[in-house]
Amino acid sequence: VISHGVARGAFTCELCELSSPYTFYGQKPPNTRGIVLLEECYGMRDPFNPEKEKFLLLGSKCSVCNKTVCVGTECSLFYTKRFCLPCVREHLDQFPEQIQTELAKKKSPNSRDRWSPEDEL
Amino acid sequence: MSERRSDSQDWDWSSPQCRAQLDEIFFRQHDYIQANSPEHQEFWTFFERFQRFKARKEMAGSKNNRGSNKAESHEGKARKKSGGGAVDLGLPKVYDARYKINVSVCSRDVEHGFGSSGHRRHREPSGPGRQEIADCRLALLHFLDFTQKQSFGKVVKLRQEQKNLPIFQYRERIVALVRSHPVVVVAGDTGCGKSTQVPQYLLSSGFSQIACTQPRRIACISLAKRVSFESLNQYGSKVGYQIRFETSRTPATKLLFLTEGLLLRQIQQDVSLAQYQVLIVDEVHERHLHCDFLLGVLRTLLALRPDMRLILMSATINIKLFSSYFSNAPVLQVPGRLFPIQVIYQPVPPEEQASKSEKLDPRPFLRVLQGIDQRYPADERGDLLLFLSGVAEISTVMEACQTYAAHTKRWIVLPLHSTLSLAQQDKVFDIAPPGVRKCIISTNIAETSVTIDGVRFVVDSGKVKEMSFDVKAKMQRLQEFWISRASAEQRKGRAGRTGPGVCYRLYAESDYEAFAPYPVPEIHRVALDSLVLQMKSMGLGDPLFFSFIDPPPSSSIQTAVTYLKEQGALDVHGQLTPIGRLLAQLPVDVVIGKMLVLGSLFSLLEPVLTVAAALSVQSPFLRSAQHNPDCSTARQPLNSDLGDPFTLLNTFNAWVQVKGERGGGSKKWCKRRGLEEQRLYEMVNLRRQFKELLRSHGLLEPEKHSVQLAQDRAQRRKRLTERQRLFQLKREHDLQEGSHRKVLCLEEGLGGEPSSGSDSEGTRSGKKDKDSAGQDMDIQEVKFKLRHNVSELQEAAYISADLSSRQQVLLRLVLCRGLYPQLALPDEHNSTRKDSEQVFHTCNKQGVVIHPTSVFASDPEVLHVPEYESSKFDADKGQSSRHQLLAFVTLLETNKPYLSNCVRVPALQTLLLVANSIDSNADCSRLVVDGWLELNVSDGEAALRALSSALTLRGEWESLLQAQLVHAGPSSTTGLGFTGPKLSRRKLEKLADGLIRFLVYTEVSYSLRRLTALQPQNLYIGPQLNMELSLPQLFPGMSAEPDPVKGGLRVTNYFTYNCLCDFKDLYSECLRIFWSCPHCDLRLPLTPLERMQHEATCRFAEEQLPEDDPDTLKAASSSSLTRLYHCDICDKDLTLTSTEILRHKRQHLP
Repeated sequence: VISHGVARGAFTCELCELSSPYTFYGQKPPNTRGIVLLEECYGMRDPFNPEKEKFLLLGSKCSVCNKTVCVGTECSLFYTKRFCLPCVREHLDQFPEQIQTELAKKKSPNSRDRWSPEDEL
Repeated sequence: MSERRSDSQDWDWSSPQCRAQLDEIFFRQHDYIQANSPEHQEFWTFFERFQRFKARKEMAGSKNNRGSNKAESHEGKARKKSGGGAVDLGLPKVYDARYKINVSVCSRDVEHGFGSSGHRRHREPSGPGRQEIADCRLALLHFLDFTQKQSFGKVVKLRQEQKNLPIFQYRERIVALVRSHPVVVVAGDTGCGKSTQVPQYLLSSGFSQIACTQPRRIACISLAKRVSFESLNQYGSKVGYQIRFETSRTPATKLLFLTEGLLLRQIQQDVSLAQYQVLIVDEVHERHLHCDFLLGVLRTLLALRPDMRLILMSATINIKLFSSYFSNAPVLQVPGRLFPIQVIYQPVPPEEQASKSEKLDPRPFLRVLQGIDQRYPADERGDLLLFLSGVAEISTVMEACQTYAAHTKRWIVLPLHSTLSLAQQDKVFDIAPPGVRKCIISTNIAETSVTIDGVRFVVDSGKVKEMSFDVKAKMQRLQEFWISRASAEQRKGRAGRTGPGVCYRLYAESDYEAFAPYPVPEIHRVALDSLVLQMKSMGLGDPLFFSFIDPPPSSSIQTAVTYLKEQGALDVHGQLTPIGRLLAQLPVDVVIGKMLVLGSLFSLLEPVLTVAAALSVQSPFLRSAQHNPDCSTARQPLNSDLGDPFTLLNTFNAWVQVKGERGGGSKKWCKRRGLEEQRLYEMVNLRRQFKELLRSHGLLEPEKHSVQLAQDRAQRRKRLTERQRLFQLKREHDLQEGSHRKVLCLEEGLGGEPSSGSDSEGTRSGKKDKDSAGQDMDIQEVKFKLRHNVSELQEAAYISADLSSRQQVLLRLVLCRGLYPQLALPDEHNSTRKDSEQVFHTCNKQGVVIHPTSVFASDPEVLHVPEYESSKFDADKGQSSRHQLLAFVTLLETNKPYLSNCVRVPALQTLLLVANSIDSNADCSRLVVDGWLELNVSDGEAALRALSSALTLRGEWESLLQAQLVHAGPSSTTGLGFTGPKLSRRKLEKLADGLIRFLVYTEVSYSLRRLTALQPQNLYIGPQLNMELSLPQLFPGMSAEPDPVKGGLRVTNYFTYNCLCDFKDLYSECLRIFWSCPHCDLRLPLTPLERMQHEATCRFAEEQLPEDDPDTLKAASSSSLTRLYHCDICDKDLTLTSTEILRHKRQHLP
């Protein structure tokens, strides 16, 4: 049984240099039934949740360039697979319009901090 | 779509039944989110939002239905374009927001295959159909994605904040320096982030077993909390804290925040500190006593541990001193993060400068408030922080500011000092409503200990009150001084934490230049008793030669050594005595420690524990309630005219009973009496710590496990579930703690109790107060119940609340012996003076007064010699058998020298039992105690009897105490614990009985006065040449030798016979008078010495007699908790515990 107890190393985003110890890598966060990740992820115990089983995904590898990137919207996006933003920009035409407008919106400040369901869909 | 609608006709998303059915699919016991968990509730809230959003979108979608071709054509275009690209990413052709989520959920429907296509099951009439399950799943996926984004966002924000700290740039250099040097100094000003970041840098670069000391307990907790949060280990125990009563440390802890004092205690246990690899000593510039000492100890420790790493962290003050003390350790300077602050010098004009006796003139302060109102628009935020020297000054200025605030409605005035209740202190963190500024009037507590954000203006009076120790008067003194330049800068800095600020200095720039560069280190100001004791017990050699970073004056070390000798903690050679060794282990003042040890000897432990704890914390009696008649009335039953420790004891006992009966209701109970409940919680914790310490040193029998075993299983289970519930409550509290601050209302600063208002505003604020109090009470109550067994405490409280008058007499003696030589003599003319003008004298200081908070300040008559007695003999003026002394805990000079926490004791009896030096004349009718108190006994015969009994009692007391200490010694080192009571209970009881009889029944008339300054010079006869040396043995195992200085005979180490110059014949010692022994039939003409000798041997023989009545003996030894109780109603003698007695009494109630 894998647990979140011991850090397996430090995860560092190759784009923004965000760094944190991670406790698992793969598609199955430890001690969770019924959750499967759709990509191989670096993750840790959710540090803001008192329950031990709750996890937090930190990042994964870009499916195009294989760079390790964090899940932050400034660095990567997930659309059936993980793409780092430089790769998304390079292949922007292959992404649906919704993603393209979203990316364009991101350039304007203030849109980052506030989440609304609108951003999600 | 229409089909779906009809399908869902009987499906109601908001119905609990419908939700419950989905819960069984998605939120089962082993699922990631379980039904009824907080996340589960959040999900359903999210779900509603999500559905609303979808509906909105669908509406918008149907409106633009015709235009939807446009989108499609766009997509077509995009695909066409991509067809020309080099790499095909293989993305799906139609956009779906679901593709953006990297999580999938395996729920019951998936596991059991129902709802899958092909096998479309008929839905139960009310059960969820395929569509509902799909809707719920989609919402769940979005919810999981949302929570991930939320948490990740927090991590990003945290890392960003860390990066923005000035110290971040130095991260690698700090780690490299620590790797290559045993000692590194990190100097950085406020806001540079050193306290939170440096430990993390070390932790993340592989160092572990890091200890970081703090001067304040509160900082240990808040730093541990902050750092564990920042290092994403909030719910782990990698980062912990350890303070006096609390620890969050586990074997997994790698970084520990602890107080300086606690680290010193750990060094006391293990000289090499093997448990740590890195030590960080923070805030070294504050120069606290413990910190200075710690640095000295660590300097020697580094020689033992070359692998140890030491990091000193300080403000950029006097860095050279620290670096050079550790052979020029490298220094890393980090700039602070302060916004620019404008300094305005506004010296107080001479006509507004207060002379010593006058009140502070508030006008210079008011002008600043007015100036701010004129110069800065009200909508520009920014609060004001005013630094004054003391509480009296604060209330003077506060009064004036409140008048101004009531007029302008632009200020909320709040005081801040350490004697305020915690709730009141906490108010300074609340937020002022728009257009209103906070005006916080504070002591230097806001200079370092308390940090308030949002301050834009600072007013610095330039004054501080500091404690110093007057060696000559043996008195603490709280005096006002000019601050140092370092403090002035620190105060100024408080204006620039959140934005540019202004600092008004109410002194001239030339004054500033003339200030001392740094504050005087504590080690130069205070009594060093505890420090020297600790040094002795750590085997650090002669304290005079210890290499302190800034050695204290040798006179104050010598004073401490002398004091410790007087207290019996050091012997004549300056070595630790057995009691001294024990006292060094107790984290309290020597006098309090003595009480504990003495109390453990007799069966007075419960009350002594309470008194010792009460005297070691701040007074629970709030000053503000002093003039509130309702509080005084409610407090009345708690007051004891025996002395303040008894009032404290009563208060604590009554509080424990309230806790036991009403639990959380104690908050209200305290409020009505003007008590700060926090202090009582501190007392109960401290009390427990004392008990554990005494137990671990073998002074107390180990806990009786048999009692616990006897509890039946159901009861144990009940207690266990109760504890689990409490833990849950505590966890919930910890989670929501500090989440939001309240907004103050304008009336809040206007002083007084908000509940006193009768209008609607008053009731509103009253309600608010009650709400916050309710929350606060809960967590304190929870912690209390987690830590303490209430019924056990109640039992202890019953015992000490139900002390017989005989036990009270003994308790006063124990307290007094603990406090000795802190004794005060009432002035002989007190009975003719007003209550407020009662004067007392101590050995070293004449004309002291009783602090107004003491019971003796309001009721001084109990200290007067009854008139009918003193006027009885005209010839022997002042003769009485009722003279009393006060034993006191503190003598502190503020505007007057005040005695605090006093107990009254019978003078002659107590002095004979506790004094270090008793000198007599030939017939013992004149006694001089400790060279300053003179007792003249008219009846020489009675004097001799008393003296003789006292000598015998003291001998027994001492030998039992030593036996107890010797017995305690080895068990503490071997860790075997208590090996069984070796002291004879019978002997102890006999001694207790003897002491009580002596104190109560010694009826001797005497006069009591203080010797004038010149008298001691002609006090003694000095060594006599013609003294006979071959005197008979006076006491078994004791010899009387001529005293080389005073003359006369040294009978014991505290009693010198016949050394006083006397108008009576020198040869009276040879006068034989017919005397009959009260113990045997002897009747012979004997000299005083011969009489004492006979009495001693006669009593000694009596003790060897076979044990008397076996029945009484059995009753006495059966249990220390039970005692004989005579019920007047049943007319029966019963052997009961105190609780049982109370229950018995209740039976008879109607």
